[in-house]
Amino acid sequence: MIRAFILLAAFAGTAASAQYQPYPYPPPQPGPGFPAPAPGYPQPGYPGMQGPVLALPVLEADLRARAGSDTVRFGRDSYVLTTQAQATLTSQAQWLIQHPFVRASIEGHADGRQTRDYAFALGERRAAAVRNYLIASGVPPQQLQIVSWGRERPAAAAAHDATWLQNSRVVTVLKQPQEPYFQPQQPLPQQYR
Amino acid sequence: MRFSISNLALFAAAMVAGSSAQAQSQLVIAVPQLPTPRNVETEGGQTGVIGIQIAQQIVSDLRTAGSIYPTGPDGLRHYTPTEAGAPQYPNWANIGAGALVTGYVQARDDGRITVACYLYDLKQRREMTRKGFVVDPKEWRLAAHRCAGAFFTAVTKRPGHFDSRIAYVAATGSRTQPVKRIAIMNWDGTDHSYLTQGEVTVTSPRLSPDGQRITYMSFAGGMPHVRVVDIDGSNDRQLVQSQSMSFSPRFSPDGRSIAFSMAIDGNTDIYIVDADGGFPRRLTTTPGIDTSPSFSPDGSRIVFESDRGGTQQIYVMNADGSGQRRISFGGGANSAPVWSPDGERIAFTRWTGAGIGIGVMSPTGANEKMLTSGWQDEGPSWAPDSEWLVFQRTQQGTGATSLYTVTVGGGEPKLLATPTPGTDPNWSGAAQ
Repeated sequence: MIRAFILLAAFAGTAASAQYQPYPYPPPQPGPGFPAPAPGYPQPGYPGMQGPVLALPVLEADLRARAGSDTVRFGRDSYVLTTQAQATLTSQAQWLIQHPFVRASIEGHADGRQTRDYAFALGERRAAAVRNYLIASGVPPQQLQIVSWGRERPAAAAAHDATWLQNSRVVTVLKQPQEPYFQPQQPLPQQYR
Repeated sequence: MRFSISNLALFAAAMVAGSSAQAQSQLVIAVPQLPTPRNVETEGGQTGVIGIQIAQQIVSDLRTAGSIYPTGPDGLRHYTPTEAGAPQYPNWANIGAGALVTGYVQARDDGRITVACYLYDLKQRREMTRKGFVVDPKEWRLAAHRCAGAFFTAVTKRPGHFDSRIAYVAATGSRTQPVKRIAIMNWDGTDHSYLTQGEVTVTSPRLSPDGQRITYMSFAGGMPHVRVVDIDGSNDRQLVQSQSMSFSPRFSPDGRSIAFSMAIDGNTDIYIVDADGGFPRRLTTTPGIDTSPSFSPDGSRIVFESDRGGTQQIYVMNADGSGQRRISFGGGANSAPVWSPDGERIAFTRWTGAGIGIGVMSPTGANEKMLTSGWQDEGPSWAPDSEWLVFQRTQQGTGATSLYTVTVGGGEPKLLATPTPGTDPNWSGAAQ
């Protein structure tokens, strides 16, 4: 009953100011391999507290700053994750675990030198490899979806053989979080019990 | 003098086109203007003028066929409508042609026009074929295309493509953020229209055998999936209800089924489903990427590409998925196979490390021959006559794309002009 009331209050609060997106989780704690947020990064707050505006560009910048990149690259025709790609994805996974309310679309791309159908299949295969790695690193599957752009969205505007490394990639694209929600398996913060 | 020069030019053009028809004799067809019994003003212009325009269109159509070169209508004698069905052979003996086109255009009381056309063998003095149409005066061009198609068939014993259509993807915007629309036009670039308006990215339009539907891939809703739409843009629907990504669709020759690819957790396989939807049946089961299915004209077999052996190669299987075997052994990576309408050849795209080009081979994999060698030529599609192919050419550097045609005989590809840069061309069968 009380919980329902609090949810309602939280909902009303967000509805009142559309840009204000507080979320009910403690700020991520810095740990080994996971540095403290850059100075100026807005710290998330609890409902009712003075919180930051969690706009998508802020989240994206934070992911890039802490994971090193939102993109991993592949060899030609390959979907094997390089050591560098695995390191990036491990950091991405930590970020995603600590921002469970942020869903991500894992978007695979292939180079324009692939035929169109094969490019779709290869992009999907790369995206699936990344998604599986993230899940194995602890990210809940329902937080992730995969999509392949094939060769429809090259990163490099020029058409040369030398661009294939830029185009053969998987990008972790964050989705704008909607209203904050409580996951039942996680205990509520003390002050709301 | 002018006549002989234009003849020479045509002859040169035929030599450049340099198709397999070179081995055959070149048939000169005289196409004088079609007479009219009474010059009547119609919605499509005067019947006398329509008669000239139809002759010009027939010449223009037949000029693209490698084994024929037409002359006229300028410089040829006029005749009366009564002579159309009974040519006076001595009058045509000295024009240097092996065959003669006659016919007439006649206005009807209901506002439409009758178009009749005949083809005569001037050497053996016999009729080779005839066609008759009653059409709206504004659709005289369709009658001309069908006359030309009938003449082409009578000479070459192959279906004509003059009334066929080409669907393609019109790409505008930047290369990194393109706007893609499905467009459809007559094979010669006329009567151009757009089927989708560019809100979402679309690729690979493929016409049904009767030309009345198009199946294509769309990013509508975020997840790429196969859709089917009627040719007038109505009845646009998702083919398979699935959360998985589907792409690379193609109709079966009877138009009842669609083969396509579906990717599930990193594994792409080929499926087949009723063209009206339903539950898809899986045809391939390897852990590799199996895609780009294309049916044989009798519908009994499917050619496709697979990287199950390490590189992309071309495989053939029965339409139920049994008997899968590799047929491409010519080197490089081979992909995007398409079976010709006469069943004799398979066109494909080959990557060799340096360039990407179009080639053809027989369904056993023998008689392999490369037709083009651009920086990136890909995605071939057959004309109904199994003689011509349309494909996409990408320029190195700018990445600009255009549509080109080439004959199986080889020769220099010809630009097929489109209003915007084009990709993914698909040539329909001939509507008879």
